Amino acid sequence: MTELLAARGVTKSYWLGKREIPVLRGVDFAVEAGEMVALLGASGAGKSTLLHVLGLLDAPTSGEVRWNGEPVHALPVRRKAKLRHQSIGFVFQFYHLIPELTALQNVLLGQMMFHTPLAYLQRRQAIRARALALLEEVGLGQRLDHRPAELSGGEKQRVAIARALIAEPRVILADEPTGNLDSETADGVLSLLFEINRERGIAFVLVTHNEELAARCDRIVRLRDGRVVG
Amino acid sequence: MYRWFLAWRYLLQRPINLLGVIAVTLAAWALVVVVSIFSGYIVEIRRHVHATTGDVVVNRLPVECSFARIAPVLLADPNVAACAPRITWPGLLHPTGGVPAAAARPDSGEDSRFVHLIGIDPQAELAVSGLRAWLRAPERPELRVAEAELLRPAGGDDDPVPSILLSERRLAVEGLQPGARVDVTCTRLYTERTQSVELETVRLAVQGAFGARFVMFDATHALVHIDTMRALLRMKVEDACNEVVVALRDESTAVETAARLQRALADRLSVRDVGVYTWEETNALFLSAVDHQRSLFKLILFVIMVVAAFLMFATLSMMVTEKVHDVGILTAMGATRFGVFQVFLACGLAIAATGAVLGVGVGCLTAVNLDGLNTWLRTTFGVDLFPTRIYNLEHVPFDLDPAWLLQVAGMALGVGAVVSGIPAWLASRHDPVESLRNE
Repeated sequence: MTELLAARGVTKSYWLGKREIPVLRGVDFAVEAGEMVALLGASGAGKSTLLHVLGLLDAPTSGEVRWNGEPVHALPVRRKAKLRHQSIGFVFQFYHLIPELTALQNVLLGQMMFHTPLAYLQRRQAIRARALALLEEVGLGQRLDHRPAELSGGEKQRVAIARALIAEPRVILADEPTGNLDSETADGVLSLLFEINRERGIAFVLVTHNEELAARCDRIVRLRDGRVVG
Repeated sequence: MYRWFLAWRYLLQRPINLLGVIAVTLAAWALVVVVSIFSGYIVEIRRHVHATTGDVVVNRLPVECSFARIAPVLLADPNVAACAPRITWPGLLHPTGGVPAAAARPDSGEDSRFVHLIGIDPQAELAVSGLRAWLRAPERPELRVAEAELLRPAGGDDDPVPSILLSERRLAVEGLQPGARVDVTCTRLYTERTQSVELETVRLAVQGAFGARFVMFDATHALVHIDTMRALLRMKVEDACNEVVVALRDESTAVETAARLQRALADRLSVRDVGVYTWEETNALFLSAVDHQRSLFKLILFVIMVVAAFLMFATLSMMVTEKVHDVGILTAMGATRFGVFQVFLACGLAIAATGAVLGVGVGCLTAVNLDGLNTWLRTTFGVDLFPTRIYNLEHVPFDLDPAWLLQVAGMALGVGAVVSGIPAWLASRHDPVESLRNE
């Protein structure tokens, strides 16, 4: 299988005044196309940091991030943004929906970013149809015009998943997607994620500290103190 | 597209941003209305001032210069349409009777005895200045003088008394009616022997009134026949004059024409320092003072725009502080720092643009309906916001200059861009990872 997204020898340190705080210490990690990988570790192990580096939201202190075998960590800002937009989806623990937008508008926002105004207006019907289908697929067909404040935690996370899917990414980076949900709702969301992986062939990197969840994935990568230990 | 969409949604959910819109609207409205009124006054004043002197004035002529010597030189210029002789001289006015009926306005000159006499050739003067309109201006019909009768002596052939015209206001202050007698005293430089100054007094009959609609001019000037001045000053040259007023065919080339006439007169009269000035040069101090006042007004009113800008800055900064958490997800979705900057800049520009359009629009409507508005304020509240009698005008003048309207709109947008740029830049510098880590 094709190695889709990889970190090679990645280190990441932060500075607190003059003190260097290493978070990642030479991490080698890869996810293949269509794979579901769990990134497991205790709190403070560096899971979220690795996710941010893989998602090109944060630059590694040293090492490489590769996309389809090509190094992308040092690309210009615009090209990184384009790569993120077109190929990498994100789902976060705290949803990060725009409160002023409805569920439908939150999903459409990504496409507004992707197209020029004229192109978006020309394609808006098709884009809207796709957004509606996605929200229907995640079970929110009746909640299109509700703003995040009017949705439950599980519903918000489903909107976030639909938002991640509309750009048809090849990999979704999910940071504790069920960390803020009750168990029943969490099960529902996880089932949805696995279904998406199965039916669409989208790779997932799932950050979690839940062993049971990790066991359901194709592969588990354990992080401890910024190092891959298994 | 997403920048404007997001900005629009952010603004819709925050009614407090209406404060910024209202502030910019008020500032733009004030800049449009006040400056258009002032500009209107300036247009009217310039028109009235222009009418007092014609297009070009020739002065600093040799003593008792003959008009017949000057006129051909002036009329030979292709841009000169007509010219008229004048004798202007200061004097003192003493009414011989009458009861003052109205109190003089302070500092108006109406209650001083000083008068600046203008001796005119009535028919020639009608072709070069605003005399025709001046004669029609008095509100009381009995004070109006027909052109054919202008400055004809009173008293009949046996005892002719030279006529004088004063402004309607001055007649009221002095309590004078048509037919009343006034004494006018002038100094005369007696050059034949001792070059001493002598006083000459002449009794004149008030024929009626004129109104140049220029308060300073009306308060201090009087019109008499040029022959009256020649006699008063005991001039020996039959067609003597000390000033010539010129009307041009094309006013726009007044400066060039004045320079040509200066050279022609200097050559013909062999006098180097004969003065030939455009009407604007003659009244340069007054006109520049009025223009300067308008510039000061613009500057002062611009301060309102600056205050509006501070209000915008405060409300936008509040919004950015609330919305900085969106930077993370926007970046994750593919926005660049510049894109984030543009979202918040768009918020500021939307506020400024809305305020500018509303302010300029309502300002134009206000300016166009000023008379009606003034009348309504006066009849409803007794407030005369725009006293038209200050400049002796029949209506509240206004002059809507499209260039100024564009400048006002541009100022609002420029100020909006500057004050929203700062919080927008701060938002774009926010670390997206930090906002993603936080709830």
